[in-house]
Amino acid sequence: MFARLGQSLDPALFWDYRATLLAGLVVNIGIFVASAMLASVLAVAIGVARTSRNRLLRGVSTLYAELFRNTPEYVLLVWAYYVLPLILSRMLAHKLAIGPVPAAILALGFAYSGFMAETVRAGLLAVPRGHREAALALGISHFDILRRIVFPQALRRMLPDALNQYVSLFKATSIVSLISVEDIMYQVSMINVEEMRPLPLYTGAALLYCAIIIVASQTIQALTRNWHRRGWA
Amino acid sequence: MTDPPATPALSVRNLHKSFGPLEVLRGISLDIAQGAVVTLIGASGSGKSTFLRCLNHLEQPTSGEIYVDGVPITDDIAGLRARLGMVFQQFNLWPHMTVLGNVIEAPLRVKRMPRPEAVALGRRFLAKVNLLDKQDEYPARLSGGQQQRVAIARALAMEPKVMLFDEATSSLDPELTNEVLAVMRDLARDGTTMVVVTHEMAFAREVSDRVVFLHMGQVEEDGPPAQVFGAPVSPRCRQFLSSVRA
Ligand SMILES: Nc1ncnc2c1ncn2[C@@H]1O[C@H](COP(=O)(O)OP(=O)(O)OP(=O)(O)O)[C@@H](O)[C@H]1O
Ligand SMILES: [Mg+2]
Repeated sequence: MFARLGQSLDPALFWDYRATLLAGLVVNIGIFVASAMLASVLAVAIGVARTSRNRLLRGVSTLYAELFRNTPEYVLLVWAYYVLPLILSRMLAHKLAIGPVPAAILALGFAYSGFMAETVRAGLLAVPRGHREAALALGISHFDILRRIVFPQALRRMLPDALNQYVSLFKATSIVSLISVEDIMYQVSMINVEEMRPLPLYTGAALLYCAIIIVASQTIQALTRNWHRRGWA
Repeated sequence: MTDPPATPALSVRNLHKSFGPLEVLRGISLDIAQGAVVTLIGASGSGKSTFLRCLNHLEQPTSGEIYVDGVPITDDIAGLRARLGMVFQQFNLWPHMTVLGNVIEAPLRVKRMPRPEAVALGRRFLAKVNLLDKQDEYPARLSGGQQQRVAIARALAMEPKVMLFDEATSSLDPELTNEVLAVMRDLARDGTTMVVVTHEMAFAREVSDRVVFLHMGQVEEDGPPAQVFGAPVSPRCRQFLSSVRA
């Protein structure tokens, strides 16, 4: 029984299609990198706004974070691909389409900015008020305080949490084939149509995802350990 | 003395501060002469910290005027802060920067000093607090007393007109208190203008030119240490002193 299972797992099949699969993986990584950057930038802005003394800013940013944290990524994906172009076309009064890749980047970027804004907010709040006051008392500007005193400390506190968010985001890139992005899952399905061998193909995809995430997160954890050793994390 | 009367390093006129309905400072006026060491004493809650924090606008005063070197504080709050150094009970060093990094940060950012110049300046002040050998350490690796001395060097590096100390030794073990007090004594001897909130009565008596007793947000007693400690006029001051001596 195990022999038959081993036979049908057949890694050779995966190897035969390596070029196609790799092309798909590159698409996933590209979408991941772009949406991670988008999410991070938005999350910093929203996270800072969440800790603002201005009530309006705090209210709007809270609403934003709640909206995107509580909407499933799949719904956002479909919405960005099918609905957003309709709205934009109507607003700009001429027809406009959003390609599957940009739609995927937008949907995942916004979805994860909601989660990550919470991480940013928690990181900012963890910096003791006295550190800020000491800087204020020296005449350092608010902007420099944020940039030089608060962010570097908040970043280190946020890192484990942010790492989990990035892992989730990378996993979430596996749904983009649903709006016909030609990612690895899309390629696997296409090969499967020809070969009719779902077991090795989908198992291979699962293992590949898993391996990439383990390697990436171990690398980042090794980096953080190095920070800890230097005494400033 | 034939010199004309010098401008006070710090002048405070009728300073008021309320937190909502709670009036914490109720009209404080003080002139602090160049080079003077003034200790501020008073019971817990009398408004000592609030007073210091109003001086550099960490708390916005409700009303009143503040002059540094005769110049009124208008809306250049950062400029005001740069001219008043402050040392806190919690040292508040930035843990992700080295000792030298902590000291040169404000000269770099606020005075836009070129780095080599800032480093030279920082090293000069670290030497002054006897910590030049620790310049590349991170704060977490220093004792409390050493951290507080770095915090003092950090404030000094802006070359402020006046140094404000808010219970700088209160969170230190007795054996570490002395090394910080020694640094403060040196500063006093060098002619640094200082306003010192402290519970160290021996230090207040020995080092200060003037002792101010605050009671419920007002100056209740103000005079040279010999008078305030020896023969206080205010009964409340007398009572406070006997309670801290006991
Ligand atoms: N941010 C604030 N909001 C509301 N009340 C405050 C605030 N800061 C201080 N107070 C109140 O103001 C009063 C004076 O406080 P302050 O810290 O100035 O006293 P202190 O003389 O420094 O006391 P201690 O010796 O305990 O440090 C206290 O009643 C305190 O509760
Ligand atoms: Mg106090």
